[in-house]
Amino acid sequence: MLRLILIYLPKTFNLASRPEVSTPLVSLRRLAEGYWLKQSSISPYAGSMYHGSPLLLSLLGPLTVKRIEGQPNHLLCSDADDSLHILGYSLVFVIADIISALLIRATGHTLQMAYRQSLNSLDIVDLLKSSDLLSSGDIAALVYLWNPFTIAACVGLSTSPVENLVVILALHGACKGLVPLAAFGWVMATHLSLYPAILIIPVILLLGYGPDTPPRKLFLQKGYGKNGDSHPSDNCGQQETSQSKAEVTFSWRPVIHFLFWSSLWSTYVLVLCIISVKPHGSLWEMFQRCQLDILSFIISGSDLWINEKTYGFILTMEDMSPNIGVLWYFFAEVFDFFRSFFMIVFHLNILFMILPLAIRLKHRPCFLAFIYIAISSMLKSYPSVGDSALYLGLLGLFLDELADMKFSFFLLCGYIGVSLLSPVMHNLWIWRGTGNANFYYATGMAYACLQIILVVESVSAVLNHDRKLRKLSVTKLRDGNS
Amino acid sequence: MPKTETETPKMKPRPIVRLGIFLISHSLLVSVVCCTAGVLALLLLPLLAKNTYISENALMPGSASSMISNRDISEANRLASDLSGLNFKPQDSAALESRRILTKYMSDLGAEVSYHKFHHKPNQFHPLHFFSSPDSTSSVKNLSCSAHGVNTVGIIRAPRGDGKEAIVLVTPYKFGKSSAAETLSLSIAYTVFSLLSRVTWLAKDIIWFVADSQYGEYAPVEAWLRDYHTPVFTGLGTLNADRCVKIDDPYVFEQKSIVQRKISDGFRRAGTMAAALILKVADRNEMLEDTLNIYAEASNGQMPNLDLINIVNYLAVHRQGLRVKVEKVLTLLDSRWLEILGQIFELLGKVARSLNPGWKFGISAADYIEGSATLASSLYYQALGIPTGPHGAFRDFQVDAITLEISPKVSPHNKARHNEFLLRGGRLVEGVIRSINNLLEKFHQSFFLYMLTSPSKFVSVGVYMIAFALLVAPLPLVAASLYADANQLDLGVKNTKSTPTATASDELDITFRSWKWLYAAKEVFLIHVWGAAVSLLPYFICQIPNCSPTSGSAIWVFLSMLSLLILYLIVGSPSTHVSISQSEEKGEWAILKSATISAVFIGLLVMSVVNFAAAEIGALLLVPMCLMAQPLKLDMKAAKLRSFLRIICNVVLGFVAFPPAAFFVVKTIFEGFDSINMGDFWNWMESLWAWNSATYIYIGMVHLPCWVLCLHILLHSC
Repeated sequence: MLRLILIYLPKTFNLASRPEVSTPLVSLRRLAEGYWLKQSSISPYAGSMYHGSPLLLSLLGPLTVKRIEGQPNHLLCSDADDSLHILGYSLVFVIADIISALLIRATGHTLQMAYRQSLNSLDIVDLLKSSDLLSSGDIAALVYLWNPFTIAACVGLSTSPVENLVVILALHGACKGLVPLAAFGWVMATHLSLYPAILIIPVILLLGYGPDTPPRKLFLQKGYGKNGDSHPSDNCGQQETSQSKAEVTFSWRPVIHFLFWSSLWSTYVLVLCIISVKPHGSLWEMFQRCQLDILSFIISGSDLWINEKTYGFILTMEDMSPNIGVLWYFFAEVFDFFRSFFMIVFHLNILFMILPLAIRLKHRPCFLAFIYIAISSMLKSYPSVGDSALYLGLLGLFLDELADMKFSFFLLCGYIGVSLLSPVMHNLWIWRGTGNANFYYATGMAYACLQIILVVESVSAVLNHDRKLRKLSVTKLRDGNS
Repeated sequence: MPKTETETPKMKPRPIVRLGIFLISHSLLVSVVCCTAGVLALLLLPLLAKNTYISENALMPGSASSMISNRDISEANRLASDLSGLNFKPQDSAALESRRILTKYMSDLGAEVSYHKFHHKPNQFHPLHFFSSPDSTSSVKNLSCSAHGVNTVGIIRAPRGDGKEAIVLVTPYKFGKSSAAETLSLSIAYTVFSLLSRVTWLAKDIIWFVADSQYGEYAPVEAWLRDYHTPVFTGLGTLNADRCVKIDDPYVFEQKSIVQRKISDGFRRAGTMAAALILKVADRNEMLEDTLNIYAEASNGQMPNLDLINIVNYLAVHRQGLRVKVEKVLTLLDSRWLEILGQIFELLGKVARSLNPGWKFGISAADYIEGSATLASSLYYQALGIPTGPHGAFRDFQVDAITLEISPKVSPHNKARHNEFLLRGGRLVEGVIRSINNLLEKFHQSFFLYMLTSPSKFVSVGVYMIAFALLVAPLPLVAASLYADANQLDLGVKNTKSTPTATASDELDITFRSWKWLYAAKEVFLIHVWGAAVSLLPYFICQIPNCSPTSGSAIWVFLSMLSLLILYLIVGSPSTHVSISQSEEKGEWAILKSATISAVFIGLLVMSVVNFAAAEIGALLLVPMCLMAQPLKLDMKAAKLRSFLRIICNVVLGFVAFPPAAFFVVKTIFEGFDSINMGDFWNWMESLWAWNSATYIYIGMVHLPCWVLCLHILLHSC
């Protein structure tokens, strides 16, 4: 595997300490620190280093401690010996990446099946010829695996591959209709990084309506068309109408199941958290904080208790060290008494977009999930390249719909340019002292703009695609009628 | 949404969009205008240069009178005579003895003296060093104990300071086999040092670093700086140091027995460095007067803060009456076309002044030639990315440093003249140190990004960026217009709106076409991977024992060709990917060209941030070629005068832009045809990667692939 070879590179590249790859939330070094604190029976959150979830700590912690014991001063010198431990550690990430790629592939197949089926039911089969040699799932999986961002996140030893894995797990479960899996993925994703909480809408839609389809109106139209015309094969038309009717109805059962399962899983996760943190006497501390954090309480809708040190850290944006996002600079500049106001504004920014998008794209829940992920990875407080790896991988899933997207070449050039410029600007600012923070922030802004263009263009491409489908089916109907 | 806009018949896009579309549709005109304007702006730069001024008020150069007395000078002379008395002894013992004498003199002044051992390491190949931080860990291993040097460091603690900041004075000195000039530089430094040990105004510690220059002047400074900035904790550091301690043991003991006070073999530090001066005395003698050469270029075209050069220039010219020079390309001085150009500009300036006396942009032709020769050398040394002296090592640690090379008028044997020279040099250094001593923060006021056109004139980044921006501006426009042409996109200017009632097959076609660039992008990507591979090849060629530069470059060229051939065979000729009808063949090379141009644009943009001068020179070569490139076959078929001219332009540009060819052409122009040798190019490249120049990466990963792609477009079969 390519990335196992690449693992040996970070000695010169020092990817793990690059601000693009590791943010305070996903950095491995912080995780090691947290684990060390835990081992010495202090609360892992006692220092200001670790902000991740306690579960991740007990899952990945043992791997890091080997490293520390094997090489007492691994922070000072990178000898050849500890590459072995890094190897063991990164193996986890490589496996996580491969599993996510496989899941993406399976999801892609499901989606494509649904797409074909819906096209068939609309009698627009000739469009299918365009879907080329590879199925979209394969392409998406390949894109995810070979994306330089994914590789960077994996080689840079950040925990974002794991987070991506659970998000994809949730989507996959929802697509396949595996309610417990979807619930588990969603709960874990929310637990790990909070932002996937908004994915509850697409997941519920997905469970309710099934995978992505062209707009519902089309089926209705078609049904009416078939009904209206006195064709000999009346039965067939009737059948299809009922079929499409059945598809249209929102099935509540899996949703209720989902809610049930998610509450179950979240209590489970919570209990695990308590267990893992308990021996170190921080349970009460944590418990108290849970009561305080009402916002997250509401979001979760169940009894998911929140540790302020993880979610509070995400929400209040305490660490303003530079990253590729746009928030750090802003909050470093803003006056202290405006801070809480702007904090609310920025976080609501994500929430604002949820509802309109959900209404407009409710027939395509998977795509909706993709848009949500892209938006949140743009506006989240500690973005890293791992997040963009996730949504770029998911982008491949909608190959058929996005085929006539505009500016694709421009976007590619932009991504390449930004990802090259960003380290150079950072170098200019930190090491050479000839630039300043504005230089680096400019690349962050450019990156955000690119993401905005990507989101806008992909949404408009999908809507256009729907329009095209409608046009086609209408002409078909007309042809059939005349 | 854009598509809905086209459906409504009289929807006008916003003005900025219309402007963009207008520019794109007239890309040919725009690119010609922009390119000429870019070249013209580059030629205008000496005209636009501003006079330097001291931007940081705290510096106050020359406001205090110099305090160097004859006592300091006589002390320094004594040191010099002691040192030169050793020259007849065998080298090893002379080195030991001279070091001992130096130490004694230093510690007599009340300075803390310590030794710093360093190991000379041969040049290594690590081209990606630029992106990593200056790390200390990589080069500790595999040092041979045989090649080592010992630097002597003396530190004066400032009576008024808190020990947090320091000023560094460096004198390279070859212990044991020193020349008169080096001894002279040592005595200037000693003069200043002995004065500074007595003064009360010192707020920053003074470090006098006598670099053992038997392995070049850069290596000892770099080794010392690295050790200075890496805290060594117990354990690893001592282990490494102990490995070679046996060799040095007798020497250290001997030293200890002789001078017991204040010598430590541990590493001594003062605070962070505010600035560093490297003091040298040139061997050659000047005819007219004492001159001062300033060298400032550090690695990757970094420059020290302009204020540092300003102080030195101000003090040297206005206080000490030295003639200050910076490097210039001498062959440009008597070049004919530059003179004509200078006269034209002079004339223009006169005309402008006659129109409005307030306009003062004309300079005399002689000034213009002088300025452009200096600018050319400034550009060249920045573009090379190789430091021009030991000051380059300081810049890697964000310390501003310059090298002062003083050339005396007469031979240093004349006693009175000798003392006067010492006095002048000493006063200059004293004044500079006193100015820096006043500094409250790091140098930050003045420019970091600039080019000198004379010691007292500079072109700042805001001005010289214009030339580059003009050169590069056509690239995205042409890329966009080619892309639009190839996709037959409607840009709203041709009055043909996309028909809303397109048939399904048409839409499929559009769909297919809008992703067609993927093939071109793939091809560009592959060629760039090839470029990366080619630039990594020298690493393996270096491993071949005793290989001469000529054979090295031959192997390199051969292997690169071979790998390119293999790439073509494996991937197949890229034109076989898509078998599209004849009408779209045109689109294929156009898309390829547009992808190439985008790659060039991104590469140049990134490079202009890393090292502006390299990007500027690269843009001069690449941009015309990329813009002109068009399949030769098309021009052959057309057989008109215009296409014929284009063929010639393409061939010439394609030849010139090939990096070795460009190198040899430049060399022929400046040094004559006789001195050409295949190995030269190899040596040149070797120096580039040995010094971690980003230019090397640029040539390997941007310039060469783009050249190959342009050739591919030229030879495209359509």
